[in-house]
Amino acid sequence: MTDRQELDREKLFAARLFAARARPYLATALFALHPVASERVPTMAVDRHWRCYVSPAFVARTPVEELAGVWVHEVSHLLRDHHGRSDRVARELGLTGPAERLRMNIAADLEINDDIFGDGLPTPEDALQPSQFRLDSDLLMEEYLRQFRLGPELQRIAWLDCGSGADGLEREWDLGPDGADGLSARQRDAVRFRVAEAIRARPGDTPQGWRRWAEEAFQPPQPWRELLGAAVRAAVSSGGAGDDYTYGRPARRSVSLPGIVLPSLRRVPPRVTVVVDTSGSVSDAELGGALVEVAAIVRAVGGRRDLVSVLSCDAAAQSVGQLCRAEGIALVGGGGTDLRTGFAAALRARPRPDVVVVLTDGQTPWPSARPACRTVIGLFARLGRRVREHDPDYRPDTPPDWARVVELHT
Amino acid sequence: MSSYSASTLDTAAALLALLGETRTEPRADDQLEALTLAVAADLPVLLWGEPGIGKTAALTQLAETLDLPLTTVIASVHEPSDFSGLPIVGDDPANQGVPMAPPDWAVRLVREGRGLLFLDELSTAPPAVQAALLRLVLERRVGALQLPPGVRIVAAANPRASAADGWELSPPLANRFVHLQWVHDPEVVVRGLGGTWPRATLPSLDPGRLADSVDHARRAVCGLLAGRPALVHQIPKSETRRGGAWPSPRSWEMALRLIAFAGTAGSSRDVLSLLVRGTVGDGPGLELLAFLDRMDLPDPELLLADPAGARLPERGDLRQAALDGVVAAVRNRPEKARWDAAWALLVRALETGAPDLVVVPASSLAALRREDWDVPAAIDRFAAAVGLSERADRAAARVAVGSR
Repeated sequence: MTDRQELDREKLFAARLFAARARPYLATALFALHPVASERVPTMAVDRHWRCYVSPAFVARTPVEELAGVWVHEVSHLLRDHHGRSDRVARELGLTGPAERLRMNIAADLEINDDIFGDGLPTPEDALQPSQFRLDSDLLMEEYLRQFRLGPELQRIAWLDCGSGADGLEREWDLGPDGADGLSARQRDAVRFRVAEAIRARPGDTPQGWRRWAEEAFQPPQPWRELLGAAVRAAVSSGGAGDDYTYGRPARRSVSLPGIVLPSLRRVPPRVTVVVDTSGSVSDAELGGALVEVAAIVRAVGGRRDLVSVLSCDAAAQSVGQLCRAEGIALVGGGGTDLRTGFAAALRARPRPDVVVVLTDGQTPWPSARPACRTVIGLFARLGRRVREHDPDYRPDTPPDWARVVELHT
Repeated sequence: MSSYSASTLDTAAALLALLGETRTEPRADDQLEALTLAVAADLPVLLWGEPGIGKTAALTQLAETLDLPLTTVIASVHEPSDFSGLPIVGDDPANQGVPMAPPDWAVRLVREGRGLLFLDELSTAPPAVQAALLRLVLERRVGALQLPPGVRIVAAANPRASAADGWELSPPLANRFVHLQWVHDPEVVVRGLGGTWPRATLPSLDPGRLADSVDHARRAVCGLLAGRPALVHQIPKSETRRGGAWPSPRSWEMALRLIAFAGTAGSSRDVLSLLVRGTVGDGPGLELLAFLDRMDLPDPELLLADPAGARLPERGDLRQAALDGVVAAVRNRPEKARWDAAWALLVRALETGAPDLVVVPASSLAALRREDWDVPAAIDRFAAAVGLSERADRAAARVAVGSR
């Protein structure tokens, strides 16, 4: 190549200094990145080992302040673990091929770009924004990924490439895990942890998106289906219900030990009542999904269908019905919620349920005392920023301590 | 007809023998190393992993390495009395009582005095069996028998999400285990099915490092907790954290022991990370590791004593932290010679790494100048760094104008 260009290191590092001054809480991460000059990268790209590949030509033609924006953009991909999350999404949804990875790169860009620029850091000219796709801002990469397809209008950004650090797909320029100056998994965690600490220490200086990231960086929200399943299973199978030993009839080993009463294994199927909050603030799709899930879990742990009842509840408990077909549940309601009536109705039933599962968005008063059975609360997650309540001062009570609370993310 | 089937069986045997011919290759395996260290440190380990990913194979290898006989007890096929003891009726129960007889494997373990007891499939055992087993793990008692100190215990459980009947650890029980997530590496499986299985090279304890390791571990844990007393005890509250590791004086003591063992074995920080996070939880574990990183930074006083021979960390963020430490040391005891030595260090940093890292320490150091201190000749070398800083300033000015 005749137009081979030297990397203007001074300009690149001036830009990094600018970025660290504009975003002090990201300084640790910015300085931990190891820059590598590469002619094959269109602009700048990162790999999962925290190397930053830089095109000398791109550095030459881009002003320092814009380069700083790209530094922050690239380091954001790594801090937010976009490669790991892309791999997970690809596995879960069976997405294969470079086109899908490009979509992940775009979705990751959208998650980053809506709140990292501004406030002293200019937006690079061709940074993708959710508004270009007519999408809401403040969503996560996984949410964006569901909301757009690659079409002809995206042709012009097909060159876009933030590297394997953004979408998990190895690039030909990647130095790989054994290459020089990479960060090990633990070192990566340590850097991310220190940045999260810096953000938590001074939350006032940071945009909402970064604060949310710092809260969740090392406590990722777990898949709600699994958590709800574990909570319901634990509730229906711990002592008193489900499989356990009982002295109600002698064990099969008793024949070899005359005179001794040994416990035997008995199945006591749990009686489960599902209380569904049908107030206006929970969507039918959310409710339907969670309800089918609970019914499936209860059946899987041995509850017979006739032992599972469903009760829909808004301001007053509406109806108690036996769950015969998962799709045959009539949900009545739509007003405000008072789940206390739902609890009362569930506990009035004879025989009493062993477990009450409540599905709600939490905008309700709770019973003041622990009810006489185990309780699992499935809470539809409402991130603060998305709630558009008419009364901004309204703060619903938080779920009580005596219940197992699982956040349901839809 | 019979000769036909006999020869078929011979052929089948030959085929099986061929399939069984696999080689092994040495391969670093962090999770196996972490397990080995925790077992050596005599802490109860709980392996969390999906069924069928090689937990049993790992335990077999571990037993061979530690030269301990392996006893596997599949918890889910036993009854509670197999662990709490079977009642045996004598002639006069009212006067002599009913002894609780231990099962044969426990008797054998006690007779041998040493061994590796693997309690598999804890999660699919009914709650009463789990309750009996926990007494075995925590008090090391089976019926009337007390397991000897030479017996090490490892348990395995399926992750909560896939546990069929709600295996849950209450926080007090979870606090007594070292939790290790057992995952398979697809690459290793593919290579193994191709005929080459990994043979982990396991750590050995270096007798020469005992005192240093204990000292190091004590300084790390005490240093962290002295500055962050809130970390000493935090019961997990959220559903996602249930049944996992959390910090308490007990688990910090376990972490201390594991740091000492990892230090004696010369284990990598990645192995230590698995152990510490599996003992006190992710957040406190990461804080401890960050604290260890800071302990690893070169001592500012040593750097100042010999700027020419100083070795600065390669990684940018660590290098800046080291340089900041040097400037802070000069600020604490400002002397001309120390100030000059710090400049010499900064020059060295400039020559061996990215220039933007030096800007902040250099300006802080310049601000420490006393009136009678001459500017060192080396300051010329900072022209580039100053230029860099001015360039960033100019860019900031452009942005400020543009946004107005």
